[in-house]
Amino acid sequence: MSDIPVTSLPHAIPHPRERMMSWVASVDHKQIGILYMTTAFFFFLCGGVEALLMRAQLAFPEEHFLSPGAYDQIFTMHGTTMVFLFGMPVLIGLANYLVPLMIGARDVAFPRLNAFSYWLLFFGGLMLYFSFFAGGAPNVGWFSYAPLSEKPFSTSPGIDYWALSLLVLGIGSVAAGINLIVTILTLRVKGMTIRRLPLFVWMTLVTSILIVMALPALNVDLVMLLIDRKLGGNFFAMAATGGSAILWQHFFWAFGHPEVYILALPAFGIISEVIPVFSRKAIFGYGYIAASTVAIGILSFAVWAHHMFAVGLGRPWDVAFAAGSMLIAIPTGVKIFNWIATMWGGSIRFTTSMLYAIGFLIFFTIGGLSGVTLAVFPIDWQVHDTYYIVAHLHYVLFGGTAFAVFAGLYYWFPKFTGRMLSERLGKWNFWLTVIGFNTTFMVQHALGILGMPRRAWTYPNLPYWGILNLISSIGAFILGIAILVLIVNIWVSLKHGERASDNPWGAWSLEWATSSPPPPENFEKVPPVRSRRPLWDLVHPDDPDWLHGNA
Amino acid sequence: MNRYKLAMVLFILSEGTFFGLLILAYVYFRATTGSEPIAAHVLDPLKTGIFSVCLFASSGTMELGIKSLRKKNFAGLRFWLVATILLGATFLVGQGMEYLHLYRSDITISRNIFGTSFFTLTGFHGLHVFLGLVVLLIMLGLGMSKDFLAKHETAVEVASYYWHFVDVVWVVIFTVVYLWVFL
Amino acid sequence: MPINTPFIAASPQEQAISHLFIVVLCWMGVILLTVTGLVTYAIIRYRKKGEGEPRQIFGNTRLEWIWTLLPLALVCYFFVATLHTMAVSDPPTRGHSPDMLIIGHQWWWEVHYLKSGVVTANDVHFPVGVPTLVEFKSADVIHDWWVPELGPKIDLIPGHPNKLWIDVDKPGTYLGTCAQFCGAEHAWMRIRAIAQEPAQFDAWLKEQETIPPQPTSGPALAGLKLFKSLPCISCHTIEGLGPTPDAGPNLTHIATRETLGAGRLMNTPKNLAAWLKDPQKFKPGTQMPNLRLTNQQVNDLVAYLETLR
Repeated sequence: MSDIPVTSLPHAIPHPRERMMSWVASVDHKQIGILYMTTAFFFFLCGGVEALLMRAQLAFPEEHFLSPGAYDQIFTMHGTTMVFLFGMPVLIGLANYLVPLMIGARDVAFPRLNAFSYWLLFFGGLMLYFSFFAGGAPNVGWFSYAPLSEKPFSTSPGIDYWALSLLVLGIGSVAAGINLIVTILTLRVKGMTIRRLPLFVWMTLVTSILIVMALPALNVDLVMLLIDRKLGGNFFAMAATGGSAILWQHFFWAFGHPEVYILALPAFGIISEVIPVFSRKAIFGYGYIAASTVAIGILSFAVWAHHMFAVGLGRPWDVAFAAGSMLIAIPTGVKIFNWIATMWGGSIRFTTSMLYAIGFLIFFTIGGLSGVTLAVFPIDWQVHDTYYIVAHLHYVLFGGTAFAVFAGLYYWFPKFTGRMLSERLGKWNFWLTVIGFNTTFMVQHALGILGMPRRAWTYPNLPYWGILNLISSIGAFILGIAILVLIVNIWVSLKHGERASDNPWGAWSLEWATSSPPPPENFEKVPPVRSRRPLWDLVHPDDPDWLHGNA
Repeated sequence: MNRYKLAMVLFILSEGTFFGLLILAYVYFRATTGSEPIAAHVLDPLKTGIFSVCLFASSGTMELGIKSLRKKNFAGLRFWLVATILLGATFLVGQGMEYLHLYRSDITISRNIFGTSFFTLTGFHGLHVFLGLVVLLIMLGLGMSKDFLAKHETAVEVASYYWHFVDVVWVVIFTVVYLWVFL
Repeated sequence: MPINTPFIAASPQEQAISHLFIVVLCWMGVILLTVTGLVTYAIIRYRKKGEGEPRQIFGNTRLEWIWTLLPLALVCYFFVATLHTMAVSDPPTRGHSPDMLIIGHQWWWEVHYLKSGVVTANDVHFPVGVPTLVEFKSADVIHDWWVPELGPKIDLIPGHPNKLWIDVDKPGTYLGTCAQFCGAEHAWMRIRAIAQEPAQFDAWLKEQETIPPQPTSGPALAGLKLFKSLPCISCHTIEGLGPTPDAGPNLTHIATRETLGAGRLMNTPKNLAAWLKDPQKFKPGTQMPNLRLTNQQVNDLVAYLETLR
């Protein structure tokens, strides 16, 4: 097993000239994790600017700020960026940094493969954005429905860039997923049994399995699309040559729905770490949270056709997928209740991180509940492809995933950098985010119910459409300011933030047992792991968790 | 658990999903459209069958190589690796001949949905065989040094996993694409 | 203008859907209030009071059962309600031959009344109280028919025709739109569903069946000649003028329609003139090019098109 020489790590404090090189050539999971997260944050800003451009265009009816061609490119890039260049990389980056620390390992299982995954992300992202200069960005939406994405209807090279860069990103994600699974299964420190893994690691494990199993469906679709576009193939072309436009959708959503959970599960993991620490209580129902995650992972492969209720697949399909889609709400609900039960009877500290976690509980619940209305497919027959969906998915992905990522950022920033983020700016950041986010997206439920389709570059001045869109656009700019506050906070705190101790929050998992930031080798000595909360056991020798049989 | 073997198993799972879906697409189009030319009229299951036997046999020679390796019989391993590579290469040559024949009969990837799905499916498989051959050649090259084989038994074993996978995929493709024409 | 929403049902199908929608939304509200209430209570009651650690509780199996089984029961109820609503809102179409055919184009709707052979575009007339079976097809990419008050939306997919019963029970004009992104002018692919009492509907159909007489003098005649000599006729059909292409909307009765450019402009002579002058100004990307017509040509064409009633 250890027959390959240990890869040498970069010097802790290199010469300034070498500092750049130490990042580029790094195979250290912490550096690569940071690279992942900074790259993701950069693309988050790109996607955010695109969102603001869209909201500027939609602020008033029959606006001509953007042409339809420009608008289509921007909404496609916004979706693609947020899913593939922000959501996945930031969560993979977080897992990269934290998983080895949490399981008491020195690095991931394959450090060089890890660097390879990151650079695929980096260049895949560059390739996607290069399309702006190469004849136009992709302009057919992040799920690029055939036959609109086929040559006869879209000659733009942007779609080829889109397909190629997503293939590159997909290969990188699969490699990262394999790496994380192997790391979790083989590199745990003595005592760290599967049933003692921190929940973040559990979620990462299930997510990685989803990545490994779901990404190939996207890759198949992309390969077939490229063969159609570049070699004159007939997969999704017009029916005359025997192709099928619906096959694209089946394969895309067979990837696309697990993808939703790839973006959501690590967020659940973050919340499962943050809430206990700031409630000063052990996580409630550890086993149920882990098991419900596995249930979600399995069910996520059986719900894809709920994205296709308007396709006319036939009654049996619709019924089966409605049932699956409703069922998946239950393991998700179990988690929400367990998190609330964790807070119950605790001693809650309202740090910015905890505020974001509480925000997550509420907003993710809203997104989850509107999701249930979509599983009831006669309702989906009304609101499918409208702004109601836009609102729903942003409550899940922004109110859920992004809120959790911010909670995680405030929580682990001291570990990453050795400095605390400012709580004062943090509170501003949090409340502006809450106000901006809800102003932007709450009204979009109403817009959908009032008949506004998604992805329209402009709209007629129908009753309430103008005012609701204006409110939404104002909200988007408040959200933009909130993100600016976050940038300022990171910038200022990196330079002048309060020095962080090893364990500033009094947390209980292993990443807090080493210095902040950790040394290249991670640990001098890993504390004994005899329960789920090794650091609790150290501090409370009179009442260690293992006395309670871990449950 | 050996991390290299585990990683290869996961990689194969992922690749297996990829091929599973490509095969599904082929089956779907085969079942729903009947526009000429179709598989039954242009493919030669017997000829391809003979070349397929080479690929199936190469899994056996690979396994014999691994057995030699376990017994520290490095010369045996090298012999069986060469045999495996030759059998795999023969299969690829057969596929190349088949493609050439089809191309001459004007059956191309853009002709109709049969052409598109057939060349995509078998082409991706051929690409994987080719990559497998590259890996085996690297193993053979490194395997010239006794040191390597003594230390990195796992590397050869992991390569053999991949080779068996490529073989198993062909069993399914051969059944679905070539044997189905008899139904 | 009346608001446009699935909650104001104008068909028995939509009645069922909106009823279910309201029931489910109420339950969702109850759950949201429960969760928000519990969280609010927890953060007030259990905020930090002292330095000591609270009592550690690791779980409670009975609670886990409760919050698994209660939602499960609710979901089962939704599932049954869904099956029921679906049967009402999308009755079986097998064995019936369609009354209408709607074909989606980038970016307009082609409407065929199959029994009378009438062809129109974008304004879709329905008789009130007579269930109409509509078949949906696409000429190019995927579109989606959505008129909130009339019931389910349905995709128009090349190579995959779909059928849907539309059974309007209240006369009126219902606005709808293409809901599936279909390219540059997805935004201006709007629908006007016009439901009329059967007598009025029959009168309208009768009018559409008769071919308007060709003008014999004045600017209208000049317009007719222009229509034939300019590229207009190579995309637009006008009954009585020879071969019938269908690249653009059928204009046989253009003057009876309420809007131009699939809902982009109200159909007035002034707007028609502006549209002919430069369609790209109003609907950038539309297939209809700017033909660089002179004002005289535009006026003649408008005079002719206005006779098409």
